[in-house]
Amino acid sequence: MPGPFENYVKNKFKKPGPLKGVRVLEVCTLLFGPAGPSFLGQMGAEVIKIELPPLGDVTRSLTPFGWFYKEQSPAFMHINPNKLYLALDLHIDVGQQIFKELAAKADIIEFNLRPGVTSRWNVGYEEIKEINPGIIYIEKNGFGQWGTYAEENRPSNDGAAQALAGYAWISSFPGRPPLKQSIWVCDVFGALMGEVAVLSALHYRKRTGQGQYIEMSQSENIMRAMGWVWPYQQFAGKSAEPSGNRDQCVCPADTFLCWDEKFAAVAAPAPEEFRGLCAAMKRPELAEDPRFRDHSERLKDENALAILKIISDWAITKTADEIQSLGKEFGFAAVRLHDARDMNEDPHRRARGFVKEIDDPMYGRYTEHEFPVMMSKTPPKTKWTVRPVGFDNDFIMTKILGKSQSEINDLYRHGVLGKWKDQQGRRPPADWDQKSGSILRR
Amino acid sequence: MKMKERKRPGWADWADHIRSLDDPANASAKPEALDDLVVLDLSSRSMAGCFCSSLLAELGAKTIRIEPPGGDLVRTYSPGGILYKDTGLAYLQEGRNKFHVTLNLETEEGREILESLAGQADIVIETYPAGTMDKWGIGYEELSAANARLIFASITAFGQFGPESTSGQYDYDNVSQARSGIQYQTGEVLPEGSNCREKPYAVPTKSGTSMAWATSGTFAALGILAALYHRDMTGEGQAIDVATPEAYERLNDYALHWYADQQVVNERFGNLDASLWLYGFYPTKDGGVFLGGLRLEMWQALVDMLGKWDEWGAGEWTSLAPFTQRDLQLKYQSMIDPLTSQYTSEELTSKSIEYSKSGRLAPITPVVAEIVSPWKTMHDENWLDRGVFTPVQDPVYGSIICAQSQWKATGTPPRTKWVCRPVGYDNGYIYLKYLGYGPEALKELEAGGII
Repeated sequence: MPGPFENYVKNKFKKPGPLKGVRVLEVCTLLFGPAGPSFLGQMGAEVIKIELPPLGDVTRSLTPFGWFYKEQSPAFMHINPNKLYLALDLHIDVGQQIFKELAAKADIIEFNLRPGVTSRWNVGYEEIKEINPGIIYIEKNGFGQWGTYAEENRPSNDGAAQALAGYAWISSFPGRPPLKQSIWVCDVFGALMGEVAVLSALHYRKRTGQGQYIEMSQSENIMRAMGWVWPYQQFAGKSAEPSGNRDQCVCPADTFLCWDEKFAAVAAPAPEEFRGLCAAMKRPELAEDPRFRDHSERLKDENALAILKIISDWAITKTADEIQSLGKEFGFAAVRLHDARDMNEDPHRRARGFVKEIDDPMYGRYTEHEFPVMMSKTPPKTKWTVRPVGFDNDFIMTKILGKSQSEINDLYRHGVLGKWKDQQGRRPPADWDQKSGSILRR
Repeated sequence: MKMKERKRPGWADWADHIRSLDDPANASAKPEALDDLVVLDLSSRSMAGCFCSSLLAELGAKTIRIEPPGGDLVRTYSPGGILYKDTGLAYLQEGRNKFHVTLNLETEEGREILESLAGQADIVIETYPAGTMDKWGIGYEELSAANARLIFASITAFGQFGPESTSGQYDYDNVSQARSGIQYQTGEVLPEGSNCREKPYAVPTKSGTSMAWATSGTFAALGILAALYHRDMTGEGQAIDVATPEAYERLNDYALHWYADQQVVNERFGNLDASLWLYGFYPTKDGGVFLGGLRLEMWQALVDMLGKWDEWGAGEWTSLAPFTQRDLQLKYQSMIDPLTSQYTSEELTSKSIEYSKSGRLAPITPVVAEIVSPWKTMHDENWLDRGVFTPVQDPVYGSIICAQSQWKATGTPPRTKWVCRPVGYDNGYIYLKYLGYGPEALKELEAGGII
């Protein structure tokens, strides 16, 4: 194992995250909004998630077939680790004032409301810039802040973005209806892209002292990731069409049904990989076949279908694990299709600390993903999970804004600060001891 | 889609104001966030590395793409094997804004040249199987010894450590999608009593584009920018390790936790979503639409819009929670299908916009979005107006459509200046600038198979 990552998992907590000292305010709900600040939180930034009391983020209600984990939505937990939880009513002028006090001490602000709402709440970029010219302020939503769809005030979801981008269209099998991804790909990938925008702005601020305003649309991000589709359409004069599990740009690259009714994915485009695959199939002559010898020639439809048929007929005589082993032995890429059980039990994920147990003071020990970027000098870390609505109010008011207890009490009395509703997803778990997880205890 | 005559909303002045500040049409006049940086992209066979360096190049980093003499395999990635001026269509998107040089890293002299470049660079991106760069003596430890500020990002199939990291296998998108756990749970549901030999389309299905590569490339870019922040504060560079299947798996949500706690394997659920209602694809007269509404009122609004408020008792509903249950999802799906099938996609979309103005629950309205072909996407006035498909005028390749302006920014927006360069196109410029090699030296290197 190479030096820079020696004992990486073991020594992770001996070093800070890369974004130590960065403060982020998030006023976001659902997935596209909150997923981004979490990435910053996992990389060591202090993220204050601001929710409207008493219900907070809608994701607190989202559960697979009704399964709550200790009365909390597992989806909410996955999307929102490493944050502090503030419940502040931004409809009230005093709430807006408190927000501005926090904004004066923040580096990054993230919203995902409909266009124009931040301005109506008096916390839009123009207002915040006055008190903090270096602020990096991002708004994420379905269609951005201007344009036809934005002005129609259309609502949006991840599924709408998959539909409107043409992404679902090209992700099915040929001749079948468009297929939705089982993950919220436009949301979480879009959130990731948003943080690329934010951190590039942070570097620019370091150079110049200047902040900026950024806006992004749920659909536009996924279009950026669709690559060959656009020039293909430009040159072909027709739409790109789906091809099931066959990669249209790499050959051979497909998923095959195996003898044990499991699936294996294989890719072998480079000359020595293709030779390796042909050798593994005991058909070395195929590597010299003029239809298949050269990658561009092999990608031609009739040739691609011919070689994939040959591989498919071979794969059905092997188990998926055998194909995976042959890939290692003969030097081509091959894997047995992984499911949720593999995600949990795969020793490789565990050894890398990518799948690990969180030891949370409120929700106990549970299995979670680590941030998927390992950094030798500043390891990112998933540390704790979500909290009830408004759980960290007092800590934030005291530590960051220096409010006295009587001022805080006033804010509660006027409904500016709030706490959770007595409802699943909002309140603490039933077995909570009234103190674990509280940073400031009374 | 034609731009319709429309009445503008009350907040139109806000829209105009923001547009005046961040319209991508004006991006070229603005400064660039990363134009103080030099990036070396050594990606081999992997579009993840190319996507990563594209993002940095769109932000102004001086990005030098290093290919083996003859070009990297990624140049051939293209549907049907189509080559346009010797370049595949996938690479025609991710060669953007980069200088293209050739360098044979299998030779001692080639590696020495790389050391010289890395000594003057801020960021190295590479995608060779773990251990390859070390074996060549140009791994992070060697390069950082000469340049402690260097940020060195590796994007691979298995990462830099862990039991499988020594497999020597390259990273391919479809294989990483299969390993991520996401492909398993995506796809059409096999009808009971059938099997996937009869219905070869009702199987675990990957995303139609190289989404695992795009995701690991973007995570790597985010890690690089975070490392850059750390370097800005401390002067210290570092090594970054991204494994493509892990990066893509991170986009998945509760499946890991669900199995850990309940031993439930998240299975395919077609065009519905195990944890969301209203949320799915529904047929229309001329195709299909996405319908969404994650608040009770939005679901009620759809039922109202479809004329079933009384019949289905929507006024009595108090919570969305029961509708998420599997059986109820399937039941209501079968009840909604024939209703949406009576309309065209455009009619349903207009109905929802109309409902937001005059419906019983207005301004609440369900999300209705036509499921369009990428062809229709590319010709949609809304995206064209927002600069996503503005063709890039390239001196070598001509006018090429590149998806761009994936975000808009007032300060340092991303932009695409050129789409690609032929193999070794910038050897003269880059090797003169960084190594002082003139035409004579280049001729010798070329003769020696170094460049």
